[in-house]
Amino acid sequence: MAMTINGPFTIRVLTAFIREELAKAGFSKAVLGLSGGLDSAVCAGLAARALGPKNVLALIMPYGTSFSADMDDAREAARVFKIRSLVIDIAPMVDAYFAAQPDAGRVRIGNKMARERMSILYDVSAREKALILGTSNKTELLIGYGTIHGDMACAINPLGDLYKTQVRQLAAELGVPAKIRAKQPTAGLWTGQTDEGELGLTYAEIDKILYALVDERESRAEVIASGFKKKAVDMIVARMKASEFKRQMPPIAKISSRTIGHDFLYPYDWDK
Amino acid sequence: MTPVLGDVRKNLELHLKTIDRARREKADLLVFPELSLTGYKLRDLVETVALDPERAREFRDLKTLSKDIGLVFGFVEERPSEKGMFYNAAAFLAGGRILHVHRKVFLPTFGMFEELKFFAPGRNFRTFDTPWGKMGLMICRDFLHISAHYLLFAGGAETTLTISAAPGRGLSEDEGFTSSRMWELMGESMGRFAQAFVIYCNRVGFEDGVAFAGGSFVYTPMGESAGRAAYLEPALFVRDVDLRDVRKARKAWPFKRDDRPEVTLAALERIVHGYDD
Repeated sequence: MAMTINGPFTIRVLTAFIREELAKAGFSKAVLGLSGGLDSAVCAGLAARALGPKNVLALIMPYGTSFSADMDDAREAARVFKIRSLVIDIAPMVDAYFAAQPDAGRVRIGNKMARERMSILYDVSAREKALILGTSNKTELLIGYGTIHGDMACAINPLGDLYKTQVRQLAAELGVPAKIRAKQPTAGLWTGQTDEGELGLTYAEIDKILYALVDERESRAEVIASGFKKKAVDMIVARMKASEFKRQMPPIAKISSRTIGHDFLYPYDWDK
Repeated sequence: MTPVLGDVRKNLELHLKTIDRARREKADLLVFPELSLTGYKLRDLVETVALDPERAREFRDLKTLSKDIGLVFGFVEERPSEKGMFYNAAAFLAGGRILHVHRKVFLPTFGMFEELKFFAPGRNFRTFDTPWGKMGLMICRDFLHISAHYLLFAGGAETTLTISAAPGRGLSEDEGFTSSRMWELMGESMGRFAQAFVIYCNRVGFEDGVAFAGGSFVYTPMGESAGRAAYLEPALFVRDVDLRDVRKARKAWPFKRDDRPEVTLAALERIVHGYDD
């Protein structure tokens, strides 16, 4: 299948990306949130190889003890890649806020937790003089399965052009513990949540449809004609459209003759 | 090499260091990648890094050094006679003089590329005499157009030099990017069928998340590989070539002798004049 990637070569590209992007910005250290899941474990493995384990700090940020198994897996990933780790319980901050918000549902609470972790990551990155590595993969980014300004926030993202299926391939190549590789992917917004349960499709199915739509530039009709369920393709196309705002900077109202984002156009790596 | 985006002074330093190393390797000719003096993804920085080859201090320094080693490099060109016209250009320096400046003709503007938004297109592919025979220059995307190769072939090029900033794109089960194979295929084919040396220099490093693939290569007039630099790694890639191979190849297969540029020209005129839109 065309989605199969050469593991060692992909690791070479992504480790060089992490190293060079950090160096250009004047950094040698990285922080990332380690959830106990696959993506952040792969990112940790890449960072350890790119920068040396001593230069990578993993933040493990559980909400109380409701995901203690995930916390153990996160610790195991940090141990395997020999990176530093720090546990910060977000329950006190999150609970303090929601004490005055009795009508908040689980999605609001879940998003708040994701943004609490983001806020801590940015604070720790300033303290450590480190940049934040993003762990959102291409699948999540395309279907908008992430919290804007939450788990999607980062300085650079080495995984954003790899589908979940490909992240899984890299995980094996990097030596991510088998237990983590065997887990059901979950956003961890509430207990018992699984990505595939919530989306109604497996990542294998989603990735094949996305690959056809995005990488192969096939139309919706062509993808359906090639044997995918209409309902599944439509769900994915609808999710892609609905989440475009998460993948772009917010529009600026253009009123001057030269406007940021419209015709004031500089490279991200300006003078780097 | 990996140029610093938008900093000509630092990039000139990089050039001087590389020239030193190449001279120690006894190289006659040193080829840098596309926009080597400026970096690639300039966008609105284009106007701040533009140079006039006749007056720029950078050119004076490099011309002096070219008395001992031929130099090919990339820069943004703006001449006083064409103010506000910025070209993605390649210069060939030897013997203390500028022997040729080529302006990129085919400016990719689709998908991730936006060159036509910031550059004016060149209008010619011209060969020129060098101490190492007749040569022709191309810049990155030019190389993927068979018309560019044909014009240099028809113009008598014995060597084509291409400077490039080609991103690596597409992964497969094999080592390297799938896009790299495309360039190598063209190099091999044009070496063989234009019966010229094909020298292709591609940069490495990242700009805004884009990885440049590296993998510079040389093909002989027989279409044989004379080696390829590693993908993604900076390298001073040195190869000896025997310029007599052009004659050897053209004796064995007289493609050049049998070419009919007047037929091509007449047929092209009929095609171009036949447009009815």
